Amino acid sequence: MRTPNEPAPLLPLLHAYHDRDGMLTDDALREISATLKIPLADLYGTVTFYHFFAREPGGRDAPRVCDGPICKLKGCDGMLDALAAEGAKPMPCAGRCDEPIPVLRGGEVLTGLSVDDLRVRPTPLPPAYPGDDEECVFAHIREPGRATLDGYRANGGYTALESALRDASPGAVIETIEASGLAGRGGAGFPTGRKWRAVADAAGSPKTIVCNADEGEPGCFKDRAIMDYDPHAIIEGMVLAGFATGAERGFIYLRYEYPKTLEILERAIAEAESAGMLGDDIAGTDTEFRLYVRRGAGAYICGEETSLLNSLEGKHPFPRNRPPFPVTHGFEDLPTAVNNVETLASVAPILRNGAEWYRGLGRGEHAGTKLISLSGDIQRPGNYEVPIGLPLRTLLDDWAGGPQPGRSIQAVTMAGLSGGFLGGEDLDATLDEPSLRGKGSFLGAGGIMVFDDTRDMLEVAHGAMRFFAHESCGKCFPCRIGTQRLTERLARDAGPAALDAWREEVADIGATMKATSACGLGMAAPLITESLLRYFPDAVRAHFGD
Amino acid sequence: MTQTSDAIEARTASQTTIVLDGTEVPFCDGETLYEISRRHRKEVPTLCYDDRLDAFGACRLCVVEVDGFRNPVASCTTKATPGMVVRSTSETLERHRKTLMELVVSENTGGSARNGNIDVDPLRGLKSQELSNLATRYEVDGTRFAGATSGKSRQDDGNPFILRDYDKCISCYRCVRVCAEREGDYAISVMNRGFHTQITTEFDSKLEDSACTFCGQCVQTCPTGALADRKALRDAETPGELKKTRTVCPYCGVGCSVDMLSKGDKIVGIHPAMDGPANQGALCIKGQYAFDFIQHPDRLQTPMIRASNGQLVPATWDEALDRAAAGFLAANRDHGRHSIYAIASGRAPHESAYSVQKFIRAGFASNHVDNCSRA
Ligand SMILES: Cc1cc2nc3c(=O)[nH]c(=O)nc-3n(C[C@H](O)[C@H](O)[C@H](O)COP(=O)(O)O)c2cc1C
Ligand code: SF4
Ligand code: SF4
Ligand code: SF4
Ligand code: FES
Repeated sequence: MRTPNEPAPLLPLLHAYHDRDGMLTDDALREISATLKIPLADLYGTVTFYHFFAREPGGRDAPRVCDGPICKLKGCDGMLDALAAEGAKPMPCAGRCDEPIPVLRGGEVLTGLSVDDLRVRPTPLPPAYPGDDEECVFAHIREPGRATLDGYRANGGYTALESALRDASPGAVIETIEASGLAGRGGAGFPTGRKWRAVADAAGSPKTIVCNADEGEPGCFKDRAIMDYDPHAIIEGMVLAGFATGAERGFIYLRYEYPKTLEILERAIAEAESAGMLGDDIAGTDTEFRLYVRRGAGAYICGEETSLLNSLEGKHPFPRNRPPFPVTHGFEDLPTAVNNVETLASVAPILRNGAEWYRGLGRGEHAGTKLISLSGDIQRPGNYEVPIGLPLRTLLDDWAGGPQPGRSIQAVTMAGLSGGFLGGEDLDATLDEPSLRGKGSFLGAGGIMVFDDTRDMLEVAHGAMRFFAHESCGKCFPCRIGTQRLTERLARDAGPAALDAWREEVADIGATMKATSACGLGMAAPLITESLLRYFPDAVRAHFGD
Repeated sequence: MTQTSDAIEARTASQTTIVLDGTEVPFCDGETLYEISRRHRKEVPTLCYDDRLDAFGACRLCVVEVDGFRNPVASCTTKATPGMVVRSTSETLERHRKTLMELVVSENTGGSARNGNIDVDPLRGLKSQELSNLATRYEVDGTRFAGATSGKSRQDDGNPFILRDYDKCISCYRCVRVCAEREGDYAISVMNRGFHTQITTEFDSKLEDSACTFCGQCVQTCPTGALADRKALRDAETPGELKKTRTVCPYCGVGCSVDMLSKGDKIVGIHPAMDGPANQGALCIKGQYAFDFIQHPDRLQTPMIRASNGQLVPATWDEALDRAAAGFLAANRDHGRHSIYAIASGRAPHESAYSVQKFIRAGFASNHVDNCSRA
């Protein structure tokens, strides 16, 4: 936080004390409570919600070792043991599944396959484009210096903003985005133009644009690639969103596991400000837009947009009841557009090249492209920009080199973990929502984790459910209790000893979670057990020794 | 007159209809599906609902089916819109509700019989039977969905009023919300997340070291008895049927309605009256907990008069009344009617307070009368 009177002050204040003292002391909480007039009991409860905030001396600097689904395959348990003397703790998927195991230590992310191998490695660039189609978001990302203002400007950067501000109306920008078919890339796939129109039409100001950079979905690391190598694309997209909707302030809500990305964003924002692309009188017009970065503190649910808004506002980050939706009642109850990093990074290229161009990037009926974070048992993991509608097999086998020699692919996850597994013949799906929804899954944020025929799918499913249980906010009954019960059943810690009764319990819990949970987490979690039973009944039977 | 009929007209104009279980029913702007269903005596179950609080949408038992929605919606948080077609019950809904009940009961029983874990003494609190009543309605015996139990009781919190028996907690957060929304005390909050959520205070302290004012509101809204009235529970083993008597708290001028709980001749506790016009279920520490003096052994059993040596000695009623009457008459004779001033005690019954003012006004033609609870 650069000045004390900026909006959304709680998280920056907590981080500042946490960094200064290596923990959050009672005194720090008392001071913050008095300064921000947050009741102490509320503040205390809220701090315990965020797993990064330590309440014991030195807790901030204890190493956090990723124990996400892919790092499990890479041996994170050994890393945790090796760092046990330093007080190492596990953290859920830290968004580096295409790299060695990430360890966050003292405000820095190291990666390595063993303790001796730990060092700072830069975010991998997306592999050279393997396709015959055309990229949108990644079109220029591999150019050296792209993250700087000059590098960004070298290939048309900020020209979309400049010409929109000078020559176009907000309505025209919204029309182009609507016509392009761009839909949310953060998971829910809501049409972006329609969201912006709702914010533009909503009464009340100031309005807000929130860039959702929480990227908490296991198996997803595409947003970090954009932020690290093309940060100005996000800034340009956000200012355009502000212009289109009438919003004059924006936040980037960044997961704490990306400390280097924070520096990169701060630097890009400062550059954009000095170049007149942020602040007052942008590009010499009377448009203004102020941009702030806020860091999360270790809670997957804070990527859910209403939980995120509560988190920004300094409230307990339970998701809100909808309606009303953020487009009318968002940040501080005022109209707000929450958009994913990838969505926002698509905006300037669409305005530069036109709606038709973007629509045409997809295969067949499908409009546009989608970034896929691909990881696990695959020869060339990494971020790929696929035309929507690309066959999954093409991505896996042709683009990414297929499984390791002599292996075959047993299952992939979809939407990170939220779409459950695909296996068997359903690996013939195409990468678009109609195809995937038809198979009981969805594309979502675009994380695909690959498991070959050597993997124990029950163990993978157990790890996945443990993640959802760990991250359930605890607000609604079906998810709070259901994720726990399903985790126990997958571990066989509790529950029926007989297979049929076990199946029935798992199915009943799953059906009720899907139908009655209050947010996407609780609705998605049972896709894990549902797809496990669908594709791997033999593995389940073997689990019972049958 | 015109204003009233205008208002009625305006309301009727904004009134439209939904179809609820096959019948067209009117609703007013802003009404939720739950409110409408309840008005039509549908038995939609809830556990996180308290009509004095903002709807929260946690228990999901109140889900109803609405045409055009893929999933059932929580009726407590869904406002009606004209033309909605709503089913408050169906085979699918009842199946989800039963699963939800089995899940929530398993949180406390861990999969063993429900007895003792969720069937609690009604002395614990006004709403303490909600969970066990619903478990009975859905025929949940506690044994399905075995697994870990959640919530840890605070045995160390020895305050005299509130038992914090969180082994029985179902994390509905009604206590936290009533403390914030109704009391404005913000003494309690939610700690941790997921299955590990726990009701806490600042720094997880005891209630007496927190902002708690011991109003008891959290106890009385708790649907499980996890928060329990420690004073009332002293009489858990006292024989006799639990009887409720509606009265008004005498302590102050607000006039909160309460239901006095008794067993035989013994007053055992107080419940706030949700339909009390002045308090709508609210009470403060005095109205809620300060009733022990009524049947306290230290109370005087006979009148006392001061002997010539200044010591108080027991007397008969006749002696005492004669002595008092003589004093009043002497003061009236020597100093006039305005020399007499009576203050009635807030701990006396209303009938006594009435008698005192009658006595002063009729007996001495004076209005010099007051009550210590005029606040
Ligand atoms: C449990 C949960 C976690 C989520 N996490 C993220 C996230 O990390 N990043 C993100 O952009 N969207 C996330 N979302 C989706 C957001 O709620 C929201 O739909 C999205 O940010 C809107 O932006 P878009 O329309 O551009 O996709 C999550 C949703 C749920 C239910
Ligand atoms: S579904 Fe899970 S994460 Fe979402 S509100 Fe309910 S408990 Fe919280
Ligand atoms: S007794 Fe009153 S003040 Fe204390 S926690 Fe309960 S509701 Fe809050
Ligand atoms: S203590 Fe009672 S009111 Fe509070 S959350 Fe638990 S069950 Fe609900
Ligand atoms: S009463 Fe609606 S969710 Fe509990």
